[in-house]
Amino acid sequence: MLLKIAWRNLLRNSGRTLLTVLGAACALLTFVMLRTVVSSWNSGAEYAAKDRLGTRHKVSFVIQLPKKYVDDIRAVPGVKQATWANWFGARDPRQPNEFFANMAVDAPSFLEVMDELVLPDDQKKAWLEDKKGAIVGDALAKKLGVKVGDKITLEGSIYPGDWEFNIRGIYTASRRSLDRSQFLFHWSYMNDSLPEARRDEIGWVMIRVSNVAQSAQIAQSIDRVFEERDTQTVTMSERQLQASFMAMFSALLKALDIVSVIILAIMMMVLGNTIAMGVRERTREYGVLRAIGFSPWHIRSFVLGEAAVLGLFAGVAGIGLAYPVVDRGLGQWLEENMGGWFPYFRVEPSTMVTTVVIAIGLSALASLLPVLQAGRISVTDALRRVG
Amino acid sequence: MSDSDVKEPEATTEDGDAKGDARDNESPAPKGDAPGEGAKADAAKADAAKDSAKSDAPPKSGPYRPTPGKPLIEMSNVTKTFHKGKEPLTVLDGLTLTIAEGAFEALMGPSGSGKSTLLNLIAGLDRPTSGTARVAGHNLEKMSDGELAKFRAQNIGFIFQAYNLLPVLTAVENVELPLLLTKVPSGERRKRAETALRVVGLSDRMGHYPRQLSGGQEQRVAIARAIVNDPTILVCDEPTGDLDRKSADDILALLTKLNQDFKKTILMVTHDPSAAERATTTRHLNKGRLD
Repeated sequence: MLLKIAWRNLLRNSGRTLLTVLGAACALLTFVMLRTVVSSWNSGAEYAAKDRLGTRHKVSFVIQLPKKYVDDIRAVPGVKQATWANWFGARDPRQPNEFFANMAVDAPSFLEVMDELVLPDDQKKAWLEDKKGAIVGDALAKKLGVKVGDKITLEGSIYPGDWEFNIRGIYTASRRSLDRSQFLFHWSYMNDSLPEARRDEIGWVMIRVSNVAQSAQIAQSIDRVFEERDTQTVTMSERQLQASFMAMFSALLKALDIVSVIILAIMMMVLGNTIAMGVRERTREYGVLRAIGFSPWHIRSFVLGEAAVLGLFAGVAGIGLAYPVVDRGLGQWLEENMGGWFPYFRVEPSTMVTTVVIAIGLSALASLLPVLQAGRISVTDALRRVG
Repeated sequence: MSDSDVKEPEATTEDGDAKGDARDNESPAPKGDAPGEGAKADAAKADAAKDSAKSDAPPKSGPYRPTPGKPLIEMSNVTKTFHKGKEPLTVLDGLTLTIAEGAFEALMGPSGSGKSTLLNLIAGLDRPTSGTARVAGHNLEKMSDGELAKFRAQNIGFIFQAYNLLPVLTAVENVELPLLLTKVPSGERRKRAETALRVVGLSDRMGHYPRQLSGGQEQRVAIARAIVNDPTILVCDEPTGDLDRKSADDILALLTKLNQDFKKTILMVTHDPSAAERATTTRHLNKGRLD
């Protein structure tokens, strides 16, 4: 009966309740989108393979390592395989504003280390046999509009000039640890085309270890090898490597967090206002209930229950809006067009549950003042109220 | 909050008598439907009163057990002062009043004479500034807010001028409301509410919302709500104030019936002399004092 009263009170001014729920739902939609941006951005690190390490220059990503380091790393006990890559930084002159990751890799060892890369055997063979061959992730292939057998010319920036490639394969990924919007080609093609002074330099080394439990010791061993050399290294897990890359955007992520909090605060005020209006309008009714013997605790429960139901509606409506907008619309577009940044842009079930819980919790919190006021109502004053 | 969360007010005397169960069997339903049952209940009340009389100490909380020969309402030298800003405003000034059980009394007087304030004190909605207010065996001036709430739930039935039904509930749901404060099971609650509505002649309007009822019908629902818990006293604040003559007469006839047939003590504030005529006693208040 008491829940029935709370429910019917909400429907009493259905227009106001609807607008409040929609307003809160829009705020929650924005909140869900921002949380998804943050979680998607971090997903690269979250989904990172546990048995992989990365070695880079001790000072910065952008300073290169000698290629001969790869052999030294392969000789460290516990290292199963090592491969390397260079950030190429070229763009498609047909779509100069489209950013995508393009890297020069050592194909045979790369395929061993990055074992979640899925490429049909015939395409793999064709790639390995063609020095100008390249493979692209399925998301990028769709964006660039390329297919196996196409030729493509990229315009280099770090390595200037027009670089011609033959698309030999379209890869997918068996795990989310691999970005499906990369352009990968043979390191030897790039290296052989460079002037002598720039040859045999690599961006970073990716290592697969035989025992995950010993990853930390292996990383230390690798760095010790180069401790006394001119170029020193820092080795860390793939997750840490990704996180250190993401740290460059920490200010942006923090800003998104702050915006999320502000949005929730606005939502709370919208809900609080509606609840407070309801309490004001029903003061006389609460007075009647108090007169016939209901305690202040009962009245507080009425208001709190109403607030919780309102929050539940808002939360469910917010998720109801977020699912089609994020999962069916924006998410797919971002994964296809900005897969490098957002490899998996979907609303996680945990985000949905969190959103509904937050909506109920904040609605209850917003109702605290009206709840206290309702509990303090003077019965005689309330009964004197008109309306 | 579920229905089961609503706790029945404690119903024990200081000597530990459990009264809740006895009370549950004293709803107007069995009395109205079967007068013999009502007589038995009255006899039980009288027996209980004898037991109660053995102890001089009144129950701190709980339903009233009638004590023949003793007054039901005793207000002694009661003063009620309100503060409007820094200015004190004395509304009741050393008022002394005794009302016997089973009375039907009307309180009349000009606006601002203190009628509603007196009614509020008797009903346990407010406490006197000074003096003693003993109602149905309870010293109200000493009771906490929570104890007063229990006292009201168990002893007082309210009938307001503006009916004050919850608009989101149907007639039968409105009547059920006071029973939410008891341990009466849901099905039984509904039965009692329906019986109370039958008593006030609204068996064909149970599923109607207040907006679908006339003023007279709304007031009947309010009366059903007031009697469903079998209170000792019915407190009526201008019960016919918003009604036309015909509806007002019907309501007054119903109150008379409740007083005569169900032995309810009724205290009614009214401006209407013809309404006051239905009462067995009429008292006049003027400037916070009884004439």
